[in-house]
Amino acid sequence: MTTDDARPDVAPDPAPAPGSGAPSGTPGEPERRGRFSRSAFLGAGLGGLAVGALGGAGGAAWARSDADAASPLPSDGVPSTTAYPFYGQVHQGGIETPQQRHAIFAAYDLTVTDPRSLQVLLARWSAAIAQFQRGRSLGAVEPTRASAVPTDTGEAADLEPSGLTVTIGLGPGVFDERFGLAGRKPAKFAKLPALPSDQLDPGLTGGDLSLQACAEDPQVAYHAIRVLSRMAQGSATVRWTVMGFGRASAGRGQTTPRNLMGFKDGTRNIKSEADFGAFVWHDGVDQAWMKGGTYQVARKIQMHIENWDSDFIGDQQSVFGRTKQEGAPLSGAHEFDTPDFATKGADGDPAIPATSHVALAAHENNGGLKILRRSYNFTDGMDENGQINAGLLFIAYMNDPAAFVTLQTKLGRVDRLNEYIAHVGSGVFAVPPAPASGSYVGEALFG
Amino acid sequence: MQPTLSLRTRPGRAVVGLAGMLGAVALVAAGCSSDSGGAAEKPGATASAGGATKVDVTLTAASGTDACELSTASVPAGPVTFTVTNKDSAAINEVELLLNNRIVGEKENLAPGLAAVSFTSTLDGGSYEVYCPGAEKDTVAFTVTGQAATSPTGSVQAVLAQGTAEYSTFVQSQLAAMVVGVDNLKKAVDSGDLGTAQKAYATARPFYEKIESDVDGFVLPGFKATDNKGNLDYLVDMRASSLDPAVGWHGFHAVERDLFGEKKIDAGTKKYAAELATNVAKLRDLATSLAFKPEDLANGAAGLLEEVQANKITGEEEKYSHLDLATFAGNVEGAEQAFADLQPGMEKIDPDLTAQVTAQFDAVKSTLKTYQDAAVLGGYELWTPQLRRTDAAKLSQSIQALQQPLSKVAEKVATAQ
Repeated sequence: MTTDDARPDVAPDPAPAPGSGAPSGTPGEPERRGRFSRSAFLGAGLGGLAVGALGGAGGAAWARSDADAASPLPSDGVPSTTAYPFYGQVHQGGIETPQQRHAIFAAYDLTVTDPRSLQVLLARWSAAIAQFQRGRSLGAVEPTRASAVPTDTGEAADLEPSGLTVTIGLGPGVFDERFGLAGRKPAKFAKLPALPSDQLDPGLTGGDLSLQACAEDPQVAYHAIRVLSRMAQGSATVRWTVMGFGRASAGRGQTTPRNLMGFKDGTRNIKSEADFGAFVWHDGVDQAWMKGGTYQVARKIQMHIENWDSDFIGDQQSVFGRTKQEGAPLSGAHEFDTPDFATKGADGDPAIPATSHVALAAHENNGGLKILRRSYNFTDGMDENGQINAGLLFIAYMNDPAAFVTLQTKLGRVDRLNEYIAHVGSGVFAVPPAPASGSYVGEALFG
Repeated sequence: MQPTLSLRTRPGRAVVGLAGMLGAVALVAAGCSSDSGGAAEKPGATASAGGATKVDVTLTAASGTDACELSTASVPAGPVTFTVTNKDSAAINEVELLLNNRIVGEKENLAPGLAAVSFTSTLDGGSYEVYCPGAEKDTVAFTVTGQAATSPTGSVQAVLAQGTAEYSTFVQSQLAAMVVGVDNLKKAVDSGDLGTAQKAYATARPFYEKIESDVDGFVLPGFKATDNKGNLDYLVDMRASSLDPAVGWHGFHAVERDLFGEKKIDAGTKKYAAELATNVAKLRDLATSLAFKPEDLANGAAGLLEEVQANKITGEEEKYSHLDLATFAGNVEGAEQAFADLQPGMEKIDPDLTAQVTAQFDAVKSTLKTYQDAAVLGGYELWTPQLRRTDAAKLSQSIQALQQPLSKVAEKVATAQ
C-alpha cells in the first residue's frame, strides 16, 4: 500500500526494456494453431498472426492484432491476443511486464522431501506455463480415448492468451534440510521477521512455493492456477490463495489505478530501467543462480472498509498525504508533483503529515529505498462479523527482502493508515530468472 | 463418477469374455515391457537390457514446431530400449509405443530440462507407432522386422483377468458379510437395546462402503431407473441430503438417525431395519451377475475415493453417528483392494505409476491410522464438526494426492496390450 516510494517518471516509456531480452525464438515465429491450440475462433487472417512486437517491458509481447481489430484496445492494457514468451527471457514474466488487470496468487506447501521430485514439479510447471502463455492447453481438452482423464481442465479452451504471465517463487522452506539446498540459499533470504502491527493468520502465511498468475482475463489466470495446482497434487498442497481483481499499482506507461480506499496507488512506483537495475534485479553475486531474479513479498492486507467509508475526506487525505481525486501530494497540485515534506499548511504543521502513508514510505525519507509494487484489489465476500472482507493483495519485488522489512517496520509503527488496515497474510519468495529454452525455472539451483 | 441412468437399468455390467480376450492377446504379438528410469533419473543410470537395440526418442521445438524424432525408423525383433529426451518441447509431455492402438510401453511427465528416461520392450515384428501427443505430427511410424527369438510370456491381459476374477470374489464376500451384519443389526434393533443396536450398526456399515461403486447401480425388477422406490442404492444408503420426499427415509441412515440422532428404538426403527435386511439380501442376489473388466476396477476405486471427498470429509454420510472415518476407511480399503488386484498387471504396464499409487495409498492409510481408537464405536475417532474444522483439509489433500495417479489407471488397463 506504499503509494510513495518511487520517483515519478512523468513521461511514460513504452519501449521494451533493454535488460529484458529479446523474445524467444525468431521474432517472426508464428503462433501455430495445431491440435492443441486453445482457441479456434480466429479463422480469418491467420497468415499475419505474428504481427509485431507490442510495446512492453519484461519480454516483448507478440500480438495477433489483425484478428483483434474489432475489439477495443485498452488504453494502457494489452489486447487479449497478447502472448508473452516464457523461455529465453532474462527475467521471469509478471514483474516488469505491464501489469495485467487480474491476478491469482497461490502459495504451496511441498509434501515431497527429495530434490528430484521438486525438480520434476518445477520442470512440469515450467512446460505447462509456457503452453498457457501461448494460449494453449495442457494436452488435449477432449482426449480421443474414452477412458482417458483430460490433463487440461478446459475452462480456458476458447480464450486467448490474454497477456498471461505465471511467475514461480521459491519459499524459504526450499532451502531447509529437506532438499539439500541449504548451501544455495542467498544470504539475504529468510522468512520475514514479525513486524509491527502484523495480524497474520497462519493459514494465510508462508509457503514453500508461490505462483503469481496475471492476465487480462480472470478466467485465463484462474485456469492456469487450477491446472498447475492439480499437477502439484502428490507433490505440494495449496496453502493459501488470493484472487486479485483490478490492478492497484501503476506499471510503466500505465495510468495510476485506485485501490479500494479510492486513492491512486503506485504514483511513484518504480518505472525506470535504472531503478529496476538498482532496486529489483538480483546481481547474482552471492548465488549465481539468482542473477536476473528477484525477491517477491506478498501480503494480504485487509481493509476495514466500513470504517474507512465513514471517515471524512479531510482525514482520508491526511491519512494518505494525497488528495483523493487528483492524487496530488498535499504539498502540491498535480499527481506527479514531487512531494515536498517541508511545505507547511495554514496551521503551520507540515502539509503532508509526518505520519501519513506517503511521508513514511517516500524514498526521500528512507535513505533512497524503493521497491516495485505490483498489487491487486481483492474481495472475499463478507466475513464472519458481517463486514466486507476486502482489501489489497500487496505484491512487491525487490533485490533484498530487507527493503520491505525496513519500510514496513516504519509503517507498522506509526502509519495513520494502520487504523484502517490489517496485514493478515504474508509470504516471501526467491524468484529465479527466466529459464533458457530446454530448461526450467530454478534448474540452475540444482546444478 | 455418479451412477448413470443407463447403468441403473442394467443390473450387472457387461460380461467380459475372458476366453475371447485371451485369444485376442495371442494375436497381438508384442511382448512384455520392462521399465527403467524414474521420471528424473540421470541418463547414465538408465539400464538397458543386455543386447537390446537402442532407439533414441527426442522431443524438440527447435524449428518452432513441436516434433517427436526417432533415431531409427526400423529395428529387428527382440528387446528394444527407448530412451526419451525432451530437449525443448513444452507441448509434449508423454510418449507411447503403440501396436494396433494398444500401449506397449510409455513414458509420462516429460518436460524440458529433466534427464532422459527409458523403457524396454521385447518386440515382435509388426508396424508400430510412436505416439507423442502435442507434437505437430503426433504419430511416427516404427517398424519391427523379423520375429522375436522367444515368444513373450505372461501377457498383461491374462494377468489382469486373473486380478478381476479375484476382485469378483472379494465383492461377493463383502456382500455376504453385509447380509450377516445387517441381519445382526435387525436382531439388535428388535431386542430394543439401544447400545447393542448402535454397536451392530457400526459393525454392519463398512461392507457396503468397500464395494459401493460396484453395486450402486441396481434397480429392483419392475421399476424405472428414475424411480427411487426401486433404486436399491437409495433404499440401502440414502441420506438426509439425498432425501426424495416422494419415497421418504429408508435403509442404513434411517436406522442411524433413530439410533444416534433420536437415540430411541420404536416400531418405525424396527421396520427400517427389517426392510434393510430384505434389501441387502436382494442386492446380494442381484450382484451375483456382476462381472468386471479391468477398467471397472480402476473406475470403481476412483469412485470410492470420490465418495470419500464428497460425503465423508464433509461429515454428511454419518451425520448422526459421526462414524465417517470408519466408512472413509471402508472406502479406502475397497479402493485399495481393487487396485491390488490390478497391480500385477499394472507393474507390467507402468511401474512408475504403480509405485506412485502404492505410495499414496500408504500415505492415506498412515494418516488414517492416526485417528484409530479402539475404544470408539467403529474403531476411529468420531468425525465431529470440531475435528472436521481442524483436520478436513489434511485428509482431503491426502485423498487428492491419491486420486491424481489413480485416475490414470483405467486408461492404462483399458488399453493394455
